[in-house]
Amino acid sequence: MIDALCDEPGEQDFAVAAFYCDFRDHQEQTTANIMGAILKQLVARQEVLGHMQTAFQKAKKELGGRCLRLPDMVEMLKRAIAPLPQAFICIDALDECLPKNLLELLGSLKDILQEAPRTRIFFTGRPHVEAEIIRYFTTGVIVPIGPSRHEIKRYLEKKLEMDTVRDAMSYTLREDILRIIPERISEMCVGTSTVPTHA
Amino acid sequence: MDFTAYPHALNSGNFNCNNVTNSHNNIINLNKFIADENPEIMRWLSPLDPRRKHQDLGNERFDGVGNWFLETREFREWKSGEGGADKAVLFCYGNPGVGKTFLR
Repeated sequence: MIDALCDEPGEQDFAVAAFYCDFRDHQEQTTANIMGAILKQLVARQEVLGHMQTAFQKAKKELGGRCLRLPDMVEMLKRAIAPLPQAFICIDALDECLPKNLLELLGSLKDILQEAPRTRIFFTGRPHVEAEIIRYFTTGVIVPIGPSRHEIKRYLEKKLEMDTVRDAMSYTLREDILRIIPERISEMCVGTSTVPTHA
Repeated sequence: MDFTAYPHALNSGNFNCNNVTNSHNNIINLNKFIADENPEIMRWLSPLDPRRKHQDLGNERFDGVGNWFLETREFREWKSGEGGADKAVLFCYGNPGVGKTFLR
């Protein structure tokens, strides 16, 4: 998604920030840290940087270096996004956020969107997150994702081409892999399709 | 067919495409310059660095898979901003391993 946005031809400048939620990193992936990671990617104006430098110097004097709180971070993000012609924020695997962090994150992004409606936000996640998305973004567009049988087969063919132990693969096994796995994976994806179903 | 006989074939089930790094976007370049010049402030903002994860995922991608999504009306409207604030949020959902993380 990020690469697709960045590769887009055209003259207009825009900024893209991405974040990948990871259930193995709950300790560090607090909402404030996630927003901070997004902010780091969107600072593109000297005046925004100047504000940060001032806040940083001030924080250093307080309690030996005070951490930013979530409301501070949200305000800084608003300042960083406001002068940008367009900002895209992409967050992957929302389901891997702690439930408390997920609600904070969605609430914070909603707050930002209200002040900067040109911002575009892209989420991915497992189906059960949809309810939370709708709760915060009632007009959000929802699209189911699933690989097509053709894509699965192409992927398998490529992987088999790169097999370094070709002698271990029989013709029959190869044919089984190319026939059965796409069928089975497509069955697993029933309920999701490559065609968007609702908005 | 017994899938347990070929565990490597299923792997994670993710599908991907090659990473293409774009460096001609002015804002992206400026952001990188600012980040490189202010490492202490960047660490203070967050210890997390999603750029590394992005690079790792790019190396695992399989070319062309998921391109259909970029052609959808939903994606094009979202990207162009035509739908205004009402269409500012796009959520793609799917079961584990269908390739959500690797949408190009």
